[in-house]
Amino acid sequence: MELLVNGQRHEVTPDAIESLADTLRERLHLTGTKVSCARGECGSCTVLADGRVVYSCLTITNACAGVAITTIEGLAAPGALHPMQRAFIDHDAVQCGFCTPGQVLAAVALLSEIPVPDESQIRRAMSGNLCRCGTYPRITQAIRAVSGQDTAP
Amino acid sequence: MTTERTRRFIATTIEVEGREETKVVEIPDRTLSPWTADQQLNVVGKPVRRVDAPEKVTGSAVYTSDRTARGLLHAVLVRSTIPHGRAVRIDLEPARAVRGFVDAIVFDDLPKDGKPIRAGGVRFLDPGISYAGHPLACVCADSMRAARAAAHAVRIEYEPAPFAATAARATEPGAPPVRPKGGNISRSSPMVCARGDADQGLAEADVVIRGQYRTPSALHSAMEPHGAVCEWHGDQLTVYEGTQGIFAVRDEVATALGIPRSRVRVVMDHMGGGFGAKNHAAAHTYAAAILARRTGRPVRCVLERAAEQSDTGHRAPSTIDVTLGAKRDGRLTAILVEAVVDQGISGWEASVTKIFHELYACPNVRTTETFAYTNTHAMAAFRGPGHTEGAFALERSMDELARDLGMDPLELRLRNYADHDQEKSRPWSGGDLRRCLEEGARRFGWNWGSNWGQTPISNGSNWGQTRISTEETSHTPQPGNSALTPIPARIRRGFGLAAQVWPAGGGPPAYATVRIHADGSIDVLTGTQDLGTGARTIFAQVAAEALGARVEDVRVVLGDTERTPFAPNSWGSMTTPSVAPAVRMAAEEAHERLLEAASEITGIAPECLTIRDGMIIPSAGAPAVPIAEITRKLGEVTITGNGSRGPNERGVGLMTFGAQFAEVEVDTWTGVVRVIRLTAVHDVGRVINPLLARSQLEGGIIQGLGFALFEERVIDERLGLPLNAGLHDYKVPTMADIPEIDASCLDTVDTVANPVGARGLAEPPIIPTAPAIANAVADALGVAVYEIPLTPWRILAAFEGSQTIN
Repeated sequence: MELLVNGQRHEVTPDAIESLADTLRERLHLTGTKVSCARGECGSCTVLADGRVVYSCLTITNACAGVAITTIEGLAAPGALHPMQRAFIDHDAVQCGFCTPGQVLAAVALLSEIPVPDESQIRRAMSGNLCRCGTYPRITQAIRAVSGQDTAP
Repeated sequence: MTTERTRRFIATTIEVEGREETKVVEIPDRTLSPWTADQQLNVVGKPVRRVDAPEKVTGSAVYTSDRTARGLLHAVLVRSTIPHGRAVRIDLEPARAVRGFVDAIVFDDLPKDGKPIRAGGVRFLDPGISYAGHPLACVCADSMRAARAAAHAVRIEYEPAPFAATAARATEPGAPPVRPKGGNISRSSPMVCARGDADQGLAEADVVIRGQYRTPSALHSAMEPHGAVCEWHGDQLTVYEGTQGIFAVRDEVATALGIPRSRVRVVMDHMGGGFGAKNHAAAHTYAAAILARRTGRPVRCVLERAAEQSDTGHRAPSTIDVTLGAKRDGRLTAILVEAVVDQGISGWEASVTKIFHELYACPNVRTTETFAYTNTHAMAAFRGPGHTEGAFALERSMDELARDLGMDPLELRLRNYADHDQEKSRPWSGGDLRRCLEEGARRFGWNWGSNWGQTPISNGSNWGQTRISTEETSHTPQPGNSALTPIPARIRRGFGLAAQVWPAGGGPPAYATVRIHADGSIDVLTGTQDLGTGARTIFAQVAAEALGARVEDVRVVLGDTERTPFAPNSWGSMTTPSVAPAVRMAAEEAHERLLEAASEITGIAPECLTIRDGMIIPSAGAPAVPIAEITRKLGEVTITGNGSRGPNERGVGLMTFGAQFAEVEVDTWTGVVRVIRLTAVHDVGRVINPLLARSQLEGGIIQGLGFALFEERVIDERLGLPLNAGLHDYKVPTMADIPEIDASCLDTVDTVANPVGARGLAEPPIIPTAPAIANAVADALGVAVYEIPLTPWRILAAFEGSQTIN
């Protein structure tokens, strides 16, 4: 099948029920997509499918024909940073970094849907992405900064 | 650090995770004068951005499970589905039939020369089973999917044995033996620790309160599961492992395989959290190393989430009976504690009673602690092990005492302020709990005495009365004060506080090397680990400061037993206080050499040169030159400095202190607790990077919030099986649970602890969070709470109980 990832077409032959996370990591070597639970509980494997958040561990690759997949590697041009990535750095919304790609993509998807989210909208949209280090307050700050809301550094 | 100059190798005592270790230390040739409080520092103390954040936000940071290699095999451990007994037959044939299967090992395939390999407190692949999840075999295959299928295909015949899944069961008369050898309690149990005369102190008390407190088994639940990738090149083994201790893993693997340490290289570049669970080589490490040797191919063994949540350690559950005696003015006269800790099948003894000896001034303390073994997986250090559990029991008891005395809980703590280490009769190196309490109270707006609980009541207590609030909330009365019962309200609001003490002074040995290349770029090499703590950033700042370099010119290389000199495990909040002085010393030596070179090249005396912001600046007005201008002229002669961590100062206690304040709302209809805000003030000595320090404080607080409200591993007592081995049923905090957090550190410098002035910061913030929240809940409901997590059913049970009494 043909899989469209980060604007590039890839010819892949996934197993019948292979997950998108496995295809991205094992076949396309896009290891920025992390697998932490492999059963839709944590959000580490979050990618964008046609701009919307999906858990790639629960997404069957064979069902992704014609869908534009964006992974963390494709969020900005090589060597460049998306404003959300920049804000995560500036607000220290990163500790171990394992959940970070998923968090960044979930935050980007949130702002594409709600350009200026309030606190409850941020909580709701981001609560599917676990962070065990506890960067949540910093992530909130990063999202507020990118959406042009007042943030104390 | 002025003692024993005549000897190079001396013994020194350091405190790791609350336990004392004696180590030999090599006295460094160079001594560092402490960076004092009024010293002008240019990089240290600044909010430098995390140096590895760009890699992490772009997905280019490589974690263990991202490692790949030509011919990589995937390995899966096959685990026991019964808690106790024996695997009498392990049939691998169905696994061999799976397409892609390559190899499998059971106990009999392990090398028989030398001692059996131990992992997670049991013999590796021992067919004698001592907990559910005990590894029995390991299969490997060409793909992850094939490996999983092969693991599922392995057929095991069990001979079950009676088991004990809880400490209460294991310590009953007639309980089944839990382990193959020895009893169901540890050899050191019961461990008694006493000072003064606790019984006499109790007799002298005006007020005595008693309570039994329970803390749950909490799981580390790091986002990256445990994993290893092992690869042999001839007789040289490379282990990529997400570990908190590369040298510990190296030594353990070398010993297990019977090969020299020089033949094992352990690499840890990035890891997805540790929190205490990743301090050692474990079953997955040995399985990957052995299968890689057998197959001649690289092997990756990364745990699935269910295994991560059921066989990688946990915070040991505890039951803590507390008796406090006090004078009417609040001064403690006696502390008596009896505690039982459920270690699981094995584990080191993280004392839950130690904090009772440390936190408050009391002449008479006696604690008795029993460590029980059960047929559950072994405990492992978990952020502030022991103290976090003990703090819940101690700080809840203190609030109960305050309630009995009718005293402001803050005032009670200030009256019992411990200004020195009472156990060893020695001063603290620095640190001030009183200031943490006072500053925290100020930032939080703690105002118990005036506008809270104003209504005086008959017994003199003003606890738990209606507080001034503009919202539709109110307070329950004390049992027995029904005359003053306010209007019942669904949502109750409450306030609580708790304090913390934790040894975090670090210690030797730790080494670092600094190299300045011809182009002026700088390497710092030290064999520590960055778990997400920010160690890379911290050491770049320390090196830049000592060298006069720009932080962006410094690259910190960590986590490679072949490339980097020894540093200890990243545990016990000891990475910064252990390694930063070594980095500083290495950078100062390089600084000195660089000045010598600059002097010889420019003809200006070294004492007339300073280095700052990457420039070498003559004092006499000659133009400044970049470091690279000097080093380029040296060509391949590399400016190098070496540093090591000297011994700790004798006769002082190296402690961190802190206080946290919580405001909660409790829904008395649903039992749901919502934390509204938390204020934390900690004293950890010098803060090297306030941006990262705040992140780490918040992280500890959020884990503490999970411990208070949600987190509890549940074992079915009849089946001995874990019931919530996943991130859906084992609840860690999410974005939706996070209150407003105001976390800060006092502006202090600990010049006694080490020449950098910093103590550790990782563990202190988790310790007081749960008791602060629990105290706020008790305040809101007007009833004591004795058990965490404060799940809705516990809240409803506590609240309904109090209503029945009324």
